[in-house]
Amino acid sequence: MNNTNEMTVSFTSNAQNEGFARMVVAAFITGTNPTLEEVSDVKTAVSEAVTNSIIHGYGDKDGKVVINASVTGRSIYLEIIDYGKGIEDVKKAMEPMFTTRPDEERSGMGFSFMEAFMDRVEVVSKPDNGTVVKMWKEIGTVGRQFE
Amino acid sequence: MKKYEYADGTLIYYLPKELDHYAAEKIKTQSENILEENEIRYLIFDFDKTVFMDSSGIGLITGRYRRVHDKGGKVYIVNVKDTIDKILTMSGIYRIIEKKETKEDIIKEMVEGGYYE
Repeated sequence: MNNTNEMTVSFTSNAQNEGFARMVVAAFITGTNPTLEEVSDVKTAVSEAVTNSIIHGYGDKDGKVVINASVTGRSIYLEIIDYGKGIEDVKKAMEPMFTTRPDEERSGMGFSFMEAFMDRVEVVSKPDNGTVVKMWKEIGTVGRQFE
Repeated sequence: MKKYEYADGTLIYYLPKELDHYAAEKIKTQSENILEENEIRYLIFDFDKTVFMDSSGIGLITGRYRRVHDKGGKVYIVNVKDTIDKILTMSGIYRIIEKKETKEDIIKEMVEGGYYE
């Protein structure tokens, strides 16, 4: 018997769907028996990745954001995928406080938050080929303390 | 429910339950003319209703902070729950904006600052 539970959801890159994306992932990981704080951490990380896809991946254009989620025991693996314009320099994009849109009051903390709230974050992206954010989190372990 | 309130140089944002990019954009658009047309002496972010926030919320706060602080206004954060406190602490925002437990604490400082004279 395979003990991995999987879920895929696809939705329009509309800012209204950010809340939906958080809710659906939070509901899906219930089986890992997370604390409220762990649920909150995952929701924030998902929100950051989905917001990036909507604002930076697609901008004014409409596209689809896909979330693949899988749970094995208490291990969570998430992929947030868009088919937008991609990231030219992933390393730079992941630097704290880096933003391409300071005029729009973006904080530049999105990737820092994902890294702080999840155990591991990887970004695969190519200009004009979209972006995949992969995130791992083990429920029931004391996470790294930030600051 | 009121999203914000303005009177006599004081602007209070009653932040929503979920402060994400979608909510932050709405708040920015709706309150833009108040920030444009008035000299804000006190800006208060009330987190009483807020249970979720991401970095878009930080962008909203720092953006408004800059505009008010640059013109000599004071900025406060109040009624912060634990999950929100974690995000605000991580963002480093408490280094520039003071957190108060209750609105009464803010009113006290406003009185001391001569606001009600």
